[in-house]
Amino acid sequence: MKSGGLNPIFKIIFFAILIIWGLSVLYPLLWTLLDALKNNDQFFRKMPWSLPDIPLLWSNFTYVWSEFSFDKYFMNSVVVTIGSTLLGLFLAATTAYVLARYQFKGSNFLYLIYIASMMIPFSLALIPLFFLLNSMHLTNSSFGLILVYASTLIAFGVFVLVGFFKSLPKEMEEAAAIDGASYFGIFFKVMLPLSQPGLITVGIVNVLNIWNEYIIGTILVNDPVHYTLPVGIAMMQAQMQYRTEWGPLFAGLLITMVPVLVVYMFFQRQIASGITAGAVK
Amino acid sequence: MKLGTTKWQRNLFIATFILPTFLFFCVFMIYPVIQAMYYSLFDWSGSSDHKTFIGLDNFKEMIHDPIVWNAMGNDYFLVVGKIIGIMILATFFAIALTRFRFKLSNFFRSIFFIPNVISVVVIGVLWNFIYNPQIGFLNSFLSLFTKDKVDITWLGFTSHTIWMLLPPAIWAGIGFYMILLIAAIQSIPESYYEASGLEGAGQWTQFRYITLPLIWEQMKVSILNIMMTTLNGSFVIVMIMTNGGPDNSTQVMGSYLYQMAFTQYHFGYGAAIGVLILIVSLITTVILQRLMHQETIEIS
Amino acid sequence: MVSKTRLAALGIAALLAVAPLAGCGSSKEEAKQPEPAKTDETTTKTDEGTKTEPTDSGTKKLTGDFEIQYFVGGYGDKWWKKVIADFQAANPDLKVKESGGPKINDQMKPRWVGGNPPDFVYIDGPNLNDRQMVEDGQLEDLTDWLKDAKNIDGDKITDILAQPPQEFDGKVYDIPLVLNSWGVFWDKALFQEKGWEEPTDWQSFLAVSDKIKAAGTTPFIHTGKYPYYINGAILYPAIVSANNNDISILQDMAASKVEAFQQPAVMTALKKIVELRDKGFIDKASIQINHTDSQMLFLQHKDAFIPNGLWLPNEMAKDVPGGFSFGFIPSVTQDAGGKVVANTSTANVAIAKNAKNKEAAKAFLEFVFSKAQASQWAELSGAPSNIKGDISASNAPSHVKDAAKYLTDANTVVVPAITFNADVDKAMQDATDALTISKITPEQWVERVVEAAKKASK
Repeated sequence: MKSGGLNPIFKIIFFAILIIWGLSVLYPLLWTLLDALKNNDQFFRKMPWSLPDIPLLWSNFTYVWSEFSFDKYFMNSVVVTIGSTLLGLFLAATTAYVLARYQFKGSNFLYLIYIASMMIPFSLALIPLFFLLNSMHLTNSSFGLILVYASTLIAFGVFVLVGFFKSLPKEMEEAAAIDGASYFGIFFKVMLPLSQPGLITVGIVNVLNIWNEYIIGTILVNDPVHYTLPVGIAMMQAQMQYRTEWGPLFAGLLITMVPVLVVYMFFQRQIASGITAGAVK
Repeated sequence: MKLGTTKWQRNLFIATFILPTFLFFCVFMIYPVIQAMYYSLFDWSGSSDHKTFIGLDNFKEMIHDPIVWNAMGNDYFLVVGKIIGIMILATFFAIALTRFRFKLSNFFRSIFFIPNVISVVVIGVLWNFIYNPQIGFLNSFLSLFTKDKVDITWLGFTSHTIWMLLPPAIWAGIGFYMILLIAAIQSIPESYYEASGLEGAGQWTQFRYITLPLIWEQMKVSILNIMMTTLNGSFVIVMIMTNGGPDNSTQVMGSYLYQMAFTQYHFGYGAAIGVLILIVSLITTVILQRLMHQETIEIS
Repeated sequence: MVSKTRLAALGIAALLAVAPLAGCGSSKEEAKQPEPAKTDETTTKTDEGTKTEPTDSGTKKLTGDFEIQYFVGGYGDKWWKKVIADFQAANPDLKVKESGGPKINDQMKPRWVGGNPPDFVYIDGPNLNDRQMVEDGQLEDLTDWLKDAKNIDGDKITDILAQPPQEFDGKVYDIPLVLNSWGVFWDKALFQEKGWEEPTDWQSFLAVSDKIKAAGTTPFIHTGKYPYYINGAILYPAIVSANNNDISILQDMAASKVEAFQQPAVMTALKKIVELRDKGFIDKASIQINHTDSQMLFLQHKDAFIPNGLWLPNEMAKDVPGGFSFGFIPSVTQDAGGKVVANTSTANVAIAKNAKNKEAAKAFLEFVFSKAQASQWAELSGAPSNIKGDISASNAPSHVKDAAKYLTDANTVVVPAITFNADVDKAMQDATDALTISKITPEQWVERVVEAAKKASK
């Protein structure tokens, strides 16, 4: 009996539940694709699950891509996402390492502040944040967005990475110290390579979050030249309320979704193992 | 002397690693938030360039505002509902995908996480369509089994409409906690199960006496995290799906904050609601931690 | 276990960044305005081409920066692009900057708060409310300027406005650019085909609704997610009708005077909504759907009537089925033989108090309020502008002509601009929704709104 017998009837029921849940996850994706190929008339006349009419309206995609300059937004999103993820990772990793390995006055308190900050309703801070960036001449700039996004990633990064660093064995650092490596040397030459799985995990989670962020983006950027994809989508959705172009809206949603899905598909092992590394000591 | 140098070097190292991060954090996160909270002491429309200091009046007014209480009730409803729903399903999936050795386990594991990578905006639009009374998926589906066309207004009941927001919230939240619990389960040495298997323990017994105690720590973290993210973040889905309506019946604290601060021109009051959310989160965290304080068994 | 800390997080980063997208809040209804209407027009073409080149020979040259904020909603942005280009061409030394978009009101808000607003603002769309802006001291007082302001053609602006500006404590801060009316729509073709009579008053409306219901169609759908539609097209006209066509009651309500809400007229009007509800005329779906969904259901003949504004046909232009012909009446709540009540709705333009280039902003007003621009507005945005003109000969859509007929008819009560206090407005919207789903009684409606008005007038 592998792992304690499971009644075959239960086994079938359980498997059915898994299948149903799987469908509930996959179907909406398929549905989004199908609906991106419909026009309004089909939306309201036909069953929600019916297939789009032939010819398929692939033009919805090209329409979105050019009409709403999604090509430009896409590039902005890539720049902002990569920039803020790397910066956020660096800021979080340095602090996390120190908090994990060095006790100093107030270190626990500092850690608590980072954790507690995750309970603050940040939407309140939008208006003051705008003033701050405005006074620094950083609104309407990808650089400004990167600074702010990176800062929003710190707490989460510290949260995960402190645990991760603590779980790494101390022997290698001790060995390196004996060999005369400096504090900095130990961090960059020994710890960073060792903590790669943790960094990748945090990085990917950050990428997913930044890629989907639009509230801060909407407030800090109002020049379409600097829009990111989610901001573009939010604009488009706002506009849709007056124009009702459902097909293109879904096409736009899909365009934003695909990159994260691809990232996820490629890196799901890292995400899982990273969470594992963090979750279980 | 050598010691002195080392100490100095150590401090320098700590400072260079701590300060830049802290600086960023303070400038772009803490400062704006503190400033916003400071506004909770003002009568300010949020769109004017002058504001009046009114002390704690916003907070006093909050006590007499039935919508605040209603919103808090909805928040706790979602917290409890999500904790129960997510924890049961996520634990079930985690065990099913590890201990039961189903075919396709890896496949399920990767697709179950997908809702977590989709933007909440998409999720809101999706579920709105499911609930749409005329052209929605749910009614169309139910109509297949009935003589008359089903025309339930899923998001328009006179009360309890908040219940309808639970399924999307659970649907969207499970993946992450499932992965977490899978990780915890996988770290339990197989030998524990083998030993109990030899003694004739069934799946249920193994779950009750091996798995559950050993993943309890992760479950606790999950529960706390669900609570925090719900109190702080559930308003997005509320705003997209119902806008707090009908008649404020689905309002949560976060959506009411937004409503007050940004569409009804009471930024000061909205900021006060923000402070309330923070306080409620902190108190609930402490209470939950007390409640869940239970001997945990550590492996190794 | 170390881990309490680490793992928890995924969700958390997300929450740091969240906030709502929200629905459209209160889109087109924004401002409305005062005084009896005369005419409004919508044309594809009136006079001398689209633009006479603005020969402001005598005037001094405009220089410096000039920024225009405009919301892009149901009317699109074609007209704005065009008028700004024209204005730029006429003033080559001026550096015109446009800040437009569907979320521009939110995006620009911090700048208004920070005392660094754009020079010129078009007040339309969600989260921008002229009453609030006036209270906040954001808008330039235009009272004196408007007294003898002339447009670029030399016409006195106040003479050519179909609807005069709303007054706040006797002062003018914004001028209506777009004139619209709330009302009830139906499909003339469908009514003809089924032999249903087009409604002219409450009795005929109820009678035909009975017939419609018997024929298996739901008579009435509204936009429950944004209840200002049903308030604007049904409730407020009903209040005026019940108040012997005296519009001052709405103005008192707008000023949050508590007694106004306790008038019997309000109760009478609320009972009409209850009547609709109890006869089963209101589509159950209404409560949870937004404007586009309700409008689509109406266009698909799932429902016979919809309360809406004149922008509807343009907003849904792409989805109007062939053969569909919009019928329109500003109000259905008057008794047989009573006057029709047209609750108008305007979108206004204003100058920021902290504008840096008020001269250019005023010149732009003079530029915009001209016949040429008015006809261009009608052409490019498909909605009536607020400048008088005869449209009967034009090729404006029939419902716009219908509306114009009503608005100029001596037998119509034209309700001037009303912008309610935001809190009172919200309370009325919530209460009306609650009323339509039998959650509260009309008495409770009044109770609630009175409560809000008390607070607001403090």
